[in-house]
Amino acid sequence: MSQTDQPRSRRHPEERWAEGGRRLHSAGAAVVVALGALGLGLLLNAPGIHKSASTQPEGWKRNVALALTGPLQDVSSALLLDRPRRALKAVLGRSSDDRIDTAVAIPTPQTKPAGSGTSPPPVARTKFTPEHKLRIWIAGDSLVIVPGESIERAAAGSPVLDPLAVDGRIATGLERPDLFNWFTHLRQVMKTKRPEAVVLMFGGNDDHDFMTGLPKGVTIGPFDSPTWIAEYRRRVGGLMDTITRAGGYVVWIGLPITADPAQTRRFDAINAIVQSEAAKRPGRASYLDTYFNFAGDNGGYAEYLPNDSGQLVKMRADDGVHFERPAGDLIAREVLHRLYQRYDLTSWRRRPSTG
Amino acid sequence: MLFPTTTFAIFFMLVLPLSWLLMPRGARWRPFMIAASYVFYAAWDWHFVLLLAFSTVWNHLFAGAINRRSDPRARRGLLGVAVAGDVALLGYFKYYDFFVTSTHNAFSYAGVDLPLEVRQIVLPVGISFFTFMAISYVVDTYRGDWQPAPFGKFATYLSFFPHLVAGPIVRPGELLPQFETPRDPRYVDTSRAFYLIATGLFKKVVIANYLASSIVDPVFGAPNQHSSLEVLVGVYAYAVQIYADFSGYTDMAIGIALLLGFRFPQNFDSPYAATSIQDFWRRWHMTLSRWLRDYVYIPLGGNRKGRLVTYRNLMLTMLIGGLWHGAGWTFVAWGAIHGTALATERWWRERPGFVERPWTPLRRGWHRFVTFQVVCFAWIFFRSDSFATAREVIVRLFTAWGEASPLVTLGVVAAIAAGIGSQYLPPRIPLAIMARFSRLHVAAQAVVLALALLATNSMGPEGVAPFIYFRF
Repeated sequence: MSQTDQPRSRRHPEERWAEGGRRLHSAGAAVVVALGALGLGLLLNAPGIHKSASTQPEGWKRNVALALTGPLQDVSSALLLDRPRRALKAVLGRSSDDRIDTAVAIPTPQTKPAGSGTSPPPVARTKFTPEHKLRIWIAGDSLVIVPGESIERAAAGSPVLDPLAVDGRIATGLERPDLFNWFTHLRQVMKTKRPEAVVLMFGGNDDHDFMTGLPKGVTIGPFDSPTWIAEYRRRVGGLMDTITRAGGYVVWIGLPITADPAQTRRFDAINAIVQSEAAKRPGRASYLDTYFNFAGDNGGYAEYLPNDSGQLVKMRADDGVHFERPAGDLIAREVLHRLYQRYDLTSWRRRPSTG
Repeated sequence: MLFPTTTFAIFFMLVLPLSWLLMPRGARWRPFMIAASYVFYAAWDWHFVLLLAFSTVWNHLFAGAINRRSDPRARRGLLGVAVAGDVALLGYFKYYDFFVTSTHNAFSYAGVDLPLEVRQIVLPVGISFFTFMAISYVVDTYRGDWQPAPFGKFATYLSFFPHLVAGPIVRPGELLPQFETPRDPRYVDTSRAFYLIATGLFKKVVIANYLASSIVDPVFGAPNQHSSLEVLVGVYAYAVQIYADFSGYTDMAIGIALLLGFRFPQNFDSPYAATSIQDFWRRWHMTLSRWLRDYVYIPLGGNRKGRLVTYRNLMLTMLIGGLWHGAGWTFVAWGAIHGTALATERWWRERPGFVERPWTPLRRGWHRFVTFQVVCFAWIFFRSDSFATAREVIVRLFTAWGEASPLVTLGVVAAIAAGIGSQYLPPRIPLAIMARFSRLHVAAQAVVLALALLATNSMGPEGVAPFIYFRF
């Protein structure tokens, strides 16, 4: 091979083919294709990527992501490259996926007339029968999924309970309606599905300083500061009011003890807010404390606990936060106990036979 | 750092060109690739990096010591210590709590309260995969199949990020020789790589996630709330979900390695087109099957010591395979079903007077159907969080026909049909797609891939669910 041939052959190497007639390309071409595909892919998916950036936890990563994806979305929109995605989402019936909805739509708190220091009238113990079942909606962040499924399973044993599918949404909460707007969703569910009992569990992703959907002019301090507590309390109370004013009863499952003591302390702060808001709505809302159900003999976190027959069972998931099935079953028992207390779910059994 | 994330895309777009730039200088490429792989692994939890480093040093030292000795007893002793160390590491992190609770519960049935302490150990991601690779390295060295590699090469082999957290389980003889000479940057099988990455992404992000949220999770979460049809479709959906999830991940891993210039072994070959359970295990998680065959089944005696011992070996191998997947009795049951099926098939074929009949389309179809049902039956135990749930699923399969089945939608049926139907595609079709793609101009290739990204990202759910096999 002559000296002059070498540069030519390096620039234009002999073509090679793999099985099935595939042409092999250079590593440089691989880098160019990958970069080109990612670049164009980013532009085509810009609305979704921008939403993902905005829903990240607060911090420098989110700031950088927003600084990059904002202009990306503008360019995508200017070049009409966001249209195919919008069209595809519309075909799939998911047009709202890329929308960022931060409106905290909750009823205005009812102010008591002056001088009315008396407690609200007692709530009637409504009777349910196999023909008129108690509809139960179970919703919340990822923590509610396992207990929710346990409630569904336990409810199968009663002909008067009608649980709707568990509506558990990973990484959501009340702090970040931009990620998933529970306030809007809850109103829709109360209107369309009309559940009489609503089992909620929130807060697992809310132990941070950052909130979206704040009212105009309102700023909040760090987690557990008076301003943070006031806003979080407004949201918890607002959810409860949305349900109770639609005639529903709320069972709010408290956050559990976790493997991280600092996280447990933050969860305690959230639990305190929920507990006090539930106490303001006797007969209409109920707070279910889970702390001691899942504490070990020393009062601390325990992944394994003995069940009724003394067998050690895994109660908590490996992440030290979520529940395993036996823990869900334990919570389900307590939730159903509350529902049996609140409603008449058994007297239908005593009705005279019509034979 | 999950493959289908922006973080990984940024990481890989930095690693890919740098890897090729450093490739001609192996002495620089290896430290770079080890560092990149450790960064990838540390993204889960940096503490686990120490575990990977320990496993690397431990197995390197023992492989070297085994190779230096000529006395068979000393070699066997060193091998025993090396493998015991690997198994102890895996056992501690993966099985300690399972062992303690099982022992405690067994004794408590007899009224004895053993003072055993549960340690609440966090399972390091990928430990089962890199431990099996490390074991195969020392065993192959002991068998004389392989001369120990220098430390840098072995560390690169064990930590190479495309296979690190969920396989495929690459044997030393498959990867280490590729580290001997720089990969040729002029000839990269980019079309196969991009095809595998794009289809793997789609399988994971769209098919697996959609089936999981639409029917599998609700059915296995509360079986008694669902009709028999929903439960049946839910079980089939799980079969497709786990295939799409795991094969999607390994497709991406193989594609990413190919872009870096390295070839990984195939891990799936249309497993739901298998005509027997033995055939299934030649097609499902193939790198685990052959690992179990070469390092468990054959050392136990394989089929060389009579029929009964063969059946025992099959059963033991599958029980270990089941336990490898998870520290739980439902996984053991899953392994036992497969072990029983394998032994039964063997017994059937070896019975006196058995004559293998020729395969007709009808007979092949029937065998595929029966095999798929057995595999799906075993998946019930694999997916269920307890025997109680598995029992509920099975009972519900027979007791709630005629009830409303709102979860069985056209989308669910289409996704299942696509997942199973894709396994019956003649191999020439994907080959033709890849060939046609490879002949496109690079700009056109980028556009096609961008459109694939658009479809995957738009059709998939928001966020990325973890891969099922990361738990293992």
